[in-house]
Amino acid sequence: MAAPLTLLLIVAVTIRAVLFRSSLAELISARVEVVSPLNAWKRVVEGLALLDLGVSPYSGDVFHETPLMIYLFHFTVDYAEIVFIVSAYFVDCLSCFLKPLDRAKMFRKQKYALESDRYSADCLELLRSPKEMFYIPLKVAMFYLLNPFTILSCVAKSTCGLNNAIIALFIFCTLKGSALLSGILLALATYQSIYPLTLFAPALLFFLQRLYIPVNLRRSSFWFFTLQYAFMYVGSLVVITGLSFFLLGSWDFIPSVYGFIFSVPDLTPNIGLFWYFFAEMFEHFRLFFSCVFQINVFFYTIPLSIKLKEHPVFLIFMQIAIISIFKSYPTVGDVALYMAFLPAWSHLYRFLRNIFLVSCVLLACSALFPVLWHLWIYAGSANSNFYYAITLLFNFGQILLVADYFYAYLRREHHLTHGLYLKKKDGTEATLVLK
Amino acid sequence: MNYCNLITIFAFINLLVSIPHGYSNYVETKAGQFFSSGHTNNWAVLVCTSRFWFNYRHVANTLSVYRSVKRLGIPDSHIVLMLADDMACNYRNPKPATVFSHKNMELNVYGDDVEVDYRGYEVTVENFLRVLTGRLPPSTPRSKRLLSDDRSNILIYLTGHGGNGFLKFQDSEEISNMELADAFEQMWQKRRYNELLFIIDTCQGASMYERFYSPNLMALASSQVGEDSLSHQPDLGIGVHLMDKYTFYLLEFLEEVHPASQANMNDLFKVCPQSQCVSTPGHRTDLFQRDPGSVLITDFFGSVRKVEITKDTINLTSPVEPPIKRSGSSDIQIESLTYVDQLPVAEIIHQKPKQKDWHPPDGFILGLWTLILLVFFQTYGIKHLKHIF
Repeated sequence: MAAPLTLLLIVAVTIRAVLFRSSLAELISARVEVVSPLNAWKRVVEGLALLDLGVSPYSGDVFHETPLMIYLFHFTVDYAEIVFIVSAYFVDCLSCFLKPLDRAKMFRKQKYALESDRYSADCLELLRSPKEMFYIPLKVAMFYLLNPFTILSCVAKSTCGLNNAIIALFIFCTLKGSALLSGILLALATYQSIYPLTLFAPALLFFLQRLYIPVNLRRSSFWFFTLQYAFMYVGSLVVITGLSFFLLGSWDFIPSVYGFIFSVPDLTPNIGLFWYFFAEMFEHFRLFFSCVFQINVFFYTIPLSIKLKEHPVFLIFMQIAIISIFKSYPTVGDVALYMAFLPAWSHLYRFLRNIFLVSCVLLACSALFPVLWHLWIYAGSANSNFYYAITLLFNFGQILLVADYFYAYLRREHHLTHGLYLKKKDGTEATLVLK
Repeated sequence: MNYCNLITIFAFINLLVSIPHGYSNYVETKAGQFFSSGHTNNWAVLVCTSRFWFNYRHVANTLSVYRSVKRLGIPDSHIVLMLADDMACNYRNPKPATVFSHKNMELNVYGDDVEVDYRGYEVTVENFLRVLTGRLPPSTPRSKRLLSDDRSNILIYLTGHGGNGFLKFQDSEEISNMELADAFEQMWQKRRYNELLFIIDTCQGASMYERFYSPNLMALASSQVGEDSLSHQPDLGIGVHLMDKYTFYLLEFLEEVHPASQANMNDLFKVCPQSQCVSTPGHRTDLFQRDPGSVLITDFFGSVRKVEITKDTINLTSPVEPPIKRSGSSDIQIESLTYVDQLPVAEIIHQKPKQKDWHPPDGFILGLWTLILLVFFQTYGIKHLKHIF
């Protein structure tokens, strides 16, 4: 396990080093699919330069990173490439180390369920065995490190890689069971971009499950732990925000970072859904539509938590996917994060219905993004509709992927409890439909 | 007898000795005057602002001044000629390639070597002002630029249809006397002229020089406010009036000027009195520093180079003399005008303080790392401390 992992790390380092030193690095840093106004490296450098000139980096609409990022990059701006490679490693090492943690618990659960006859008799082939799960950590690491999206994001030195690292660290600490660290890291992730706020619910569910506290709104133990966790989370968020204030001595960063994320003033095309809508909408509808679009991100948390309250790990995956699809400035780095977790659900493969379509759509769109950008901006023979069509298709493919996995997961759960070969009341074969 | 001879011989020798000495004194004073005359080059901007065949006379006006100016020595490279319409090759011209000034067709002012710099629709108020102030796009060729400096005497001649305070360009726009005055002030501030002679031949032309406020300007106009400038004679063969009265007599006057003539401005002011011109020509010299009687016509209309040949060496010890004070107003002390300190050089090259790089505040670093350590020990327990210390 260690040897293949090391080999993988060496290969990943080589690829990134080669790309860093080639002429492609500037090309990639300028691509709108890879960098967004929130996490472009150019803007980080600009912000630090403004700070050296004695001006607040948030003056002028250039810099939208949080002050702790300023602190980090102030010391490491010359070694930025190493920082990003290290953060990429963080993600995959953590991702691959969290698998064993999950495994033991999951095996135990399976064993108990089998023994207590909660699982039906003919679902043995659905159960996960250690043998099949042995290589999952390596696969997860590979999926992240060798994902072209991750490589592009790392070579472009987009701070999305650092955000991914923080989220991966948060998942790691959650699965390890340390509520304090998990709360602190979630606060850090929320501080970076607000959307990981939705990960509060799955983390809470995980801890409740781990501590065997039933998720019952009338139980005091539930509220007790929830308040504890919420207090740790909110407390660390407040501390981090206060620290940021003390770094620069002003509250400038709040409208520049959070106001920017929420009100979406910058309409540079990206792979998200916001820019086209907001470019063509009238000013007096802008508030309404930005509220609608932002609620769309947070909206799926409650229903999904209710449905997946026994499966918080999958819920985390779903939430990350939803964030990266519906956030205001997505990049391919966000897509790479949830794609890295796909091997963890490889046992769902037999239930996936649209995997061919989805993979074709995603591949085709990824190839068409630069083509249509060139046609629009340089050749002038296309317009923004072409690019937005591909953006829509890409997001549609992602949504289909996520929905497919959701369907497969639920179906597997259903089969586990009701048997693999379902029969209707009259004995004929039944089909399962996700409603 | 011998004594007398000695004295005469002595006086003669004294005279002989003092003559070259006197001569060198004379040469030195002349040299002093040589460098104090003020201008070293001449420019002319001649503008005809009206188009259409029936405004033939305005083009003829401008061309006649062009002719005189060229004849007296200003080269084409120093003349900016702006004609709003082409009369010589106009399809209504019965004598193509000619522009006559007199009905006897004795003087073809078009000639063989006319160089028109701005023609047709290029003659606009904007272009005229840009030529004067020098604010032309970098792609403008040299022939279209007024490349004067602070030792240039410039002649500006405008003709066309005008009114009280304005001059009409091309039948569609106009330039006001205030704009013109401001343009001249810009020229003064940018040191684009030494002295400027402004002649205008339009109706109510005197209104155009009323607003001037820059120094070293002399202005002449063909008519006062409320009067019309009249044209001279029509030619029945060509069918239009060939020239305006004022410019006709101006041309007559200038034809008698040659490069060495000593005619001065007072003679120019007498050109075309009311008996001949019907309108009353006006002039303005209050902004001019020198006495108009001492200003030669060739100072503006010609490009007379001052050359003195001497076989003696001259010591130039005294600096350039300031301009001669006007004999008229002795109570007003006009100080000699010098360069304004345009670039505060001392302020520009003073050293900027070296910028210090921004550094996070120490309190922040302390707080952050204390927190990190606290969390670390909270998570991993105090028992690890034992192993560290």
